[in-house]
Amino acid sequence: MTQENVFQEFGRKSFRTLKNCLLGTTLACLTASPVLASDTRVALVPGGPHPYFAAWEKAGQDAKRDFGLSGADYRVPQKWELSQQNQLLESLLTQGYNGFLIFPGDPVGTNSIASELTAEGTPVIALAGCLKQPTPAVFCLGTDTGNSAYLGTKELIKTLGGKGKIAHFTGFLVDPNTQLRIDAVQKAANETGGAVEVIQVIADIDAPEPAEEKINAFLAAQADKVDGIVTTAWVPAVVAANSLRKIGDKRIKMVGIDHDEVVLKAIKDGYVHGTMLQNPYGQGYIGSFAMNKLRSGCKVNQNAPFKSTALTNQFIDSGTAFVGRDKVDTYIGAMEAVTKDLMASFESTYLVCN
Amino acid sequence: MASAQESSLSTNSRDRSSIRNFFFSNEFGLLFLILVFATIFALLTTGFTSRFNLYALGRNISIDVVIGFSMMVVIVTGGLNLSVGSIGVSAVMFGGWLIEGMGSNLPIALILLLLGGGLLGAVNGVMVVRTGVHSFIITLATMSVYFGLMIWLTQAEAFRNLPPEVATFGRTKIYGYLSPLLLISLGVAIMLAVLYRYTSLGRNMLAAGANPTAAELSGVNVKRTFILCHALSGLLAALAATMLTCRTGAAIPSMTGHIGQDWLLPAFLAPVLGGTLLSGGKVSVLGTFFGAVLVSLLTNGLLLLQVSEFWVQAVLGALLLSAVLLEKLRNVVLLQNRFI
Repeated sequence: MTQENVFQEFGRKSFRTLKNCLLGTTLACLTASPVLASDTRVALVPGGPHPYFAAWEKAGQDAKRDFGLSGADYRVPQKWELSQQNQLLESLLTQGYNGFLIFPGDPVGTNSIASELTAEGTPVIALAGCLKQPTPAVFCLGTDTGNSAYLGTKELIKTLGGKGKIAHFTGFLVDPNTQLRIDAVQKAANETGGAVEVIQVIADIDAPEPAEEKINAFLAAQADKVDGIVTTAWVPAVVAANSLRKIGDKRIKMVGIDHDEVVLKAIKDGYVHGTMLQNPYGQGYIGSFAMNKLRSGCKVNQNAPFKSTALTNQFIDSGTAFVGRDKVDTYIGAMEAVTKDLMASFESTYLVCN
Repeated sequence: MASAQESSLSTNSRDRSSIRNFFFSNEFGLLFLILVFATIFALLTTGFTSRFNLYALGRNISIDVVIGFSMMVVIVTGGLNLSVGSIGVSAVMFGGWLIEGMGSNLPIALILLLLGGGLLGAVNGVMVVRTGVHSFIITLATMSVYFGLMIWLTQAEAFRNLPPEVATFGRTKIYGYLSPLLLISLGVAIMLAVLYRYTSLGRNMLAAGANPTAAELSGVNVKRTFILCHALSGLLAALAATMLTCRTGAAIPSMTGHIGQDWLLPAFLAPVLGGTLLSGGKVSVLGTFFGAVLVSLLTNGLLLLQVSEFWVQAVLGALLLSAVLLEKLRNVVLLQNRFI
């Protein structure tokens, strides 16, 4: 099975878990104004195929229905290539899309195509990952990845009793979020005053083949030396959860990330302590809502309480939440709650509409 | 008088033969396909002939053409260069470091990065001729080595504070729809055509690729020629990456994909479609150019037709296979009819 096929399979699983989510309908009630037909045609474009983004498809469909958009389509570059994403974006502009929600293929390199899109009169919002300032993107809506990694590690340390040796499995080295995650995990460990030690960081494994190879090799050699595992990328979380199940080890505590069925089932069965949820559905839904507002004449509120990250000072946190065994059956509710909170005050907080 | 008539008849015969050869050539077949597909996309899609799309298409073609050339100049030797992507990104990261780290000005950095690409290519060539190991193996190894060293030295950090002229050049539109990058690729094509057709160095490259032993016996320094081919490949890869840097406005470690593998398909498609022999000794600059145009055109048109992005790759793979099979069929037909 190719990497793309594996991702698609993951994506289908993820989509199934979300298909009964009534979040969109619930959120529509929060918008007081009646739904009017809009000429806004939004493209939600990830950097490439990855299960994390599967929820954007339903988010776009729900946003189209709830806000009367002309379109809100999830379009995936066939590979994780900046040039592929650029070509797709050029093509979508030619096809008539007039609003772009983009996970940057590169936080710097995507600025160039973003400039060309905005020069053609189509606004751009960076979604799930930020563009490096100066950028034509009006703002960045995504997970505060450093904070998520920090909170996840704190949860792991808590369940370890405040001491032990941990390993960190994370994403691509070329992804600037990876270094933020590595730093955040180290920071949480440092706060224990040496009681918790990060004995190994394995990066560049957010794909099935390298993840299988490196995680299994690590566990084969050092399973008896490690007390905890924190994963801060989707594929390593899935592979590590599977590996712990295979070797039947419940001594090693693990905190994963995201909501793949493999990880959720491992939490239920006690092989994984919990997972740090991100909010891809909320990103797609709220992003589409914001894009429609921007195209309807609203402006970004320059005095809004934006957060700052290493890439931008116009960051909006789409939320993160820890889900352990006690909440694993109701995790969609946790995502809904985060999205509801953000949606309820989004327009008044981040936009200025006449 | 009779002599003049014979000369005239001979000239007319040669002209007819040249015209006939062109119509049976690989290049004509590609040109025909380009025109057919362009007509289909213009009729079936909205926006194909829009200024923005023609501009974007031309820009994509220009980069794919130079990537194709960087592979073509090594295929001439009967070898391969799998490290074109790694060399390209390593060269532009070197250029970015020269500008941001060393305060070098743009023209000097540009020259040095192109030379750097040529040097990395030459290292491939030296290892190939010294070890006798096929270039497939050598460049498979160096694609990881070059990329790994680049990631280690840069810590995967992009050089994003390049002079604004870089991005401005990449976004320039001549008459609203023509990218200056396309003019660069045309210039490179002309220089390569001159190299192979009119210079002894170019002819030596073809001779060494066709039959190294015979070329050696004829006085060609085959080893040096192979090293030069690899150096030229590295230089062209660096140029393609520089053009891509103009497109993105920054030197980015991931710009050619993981270990540069994103460039492999365009690097192979253009010369193979264009009629360059994988066994070496025969090259078609015009064919490689048309091959890159066809690939970019199909990608653009299929995306506009809203064919699933996942099918585009399959279509390109099928195109490669069809091109090889059609070429075989064409040769059989021509042989049966004694055209060749």
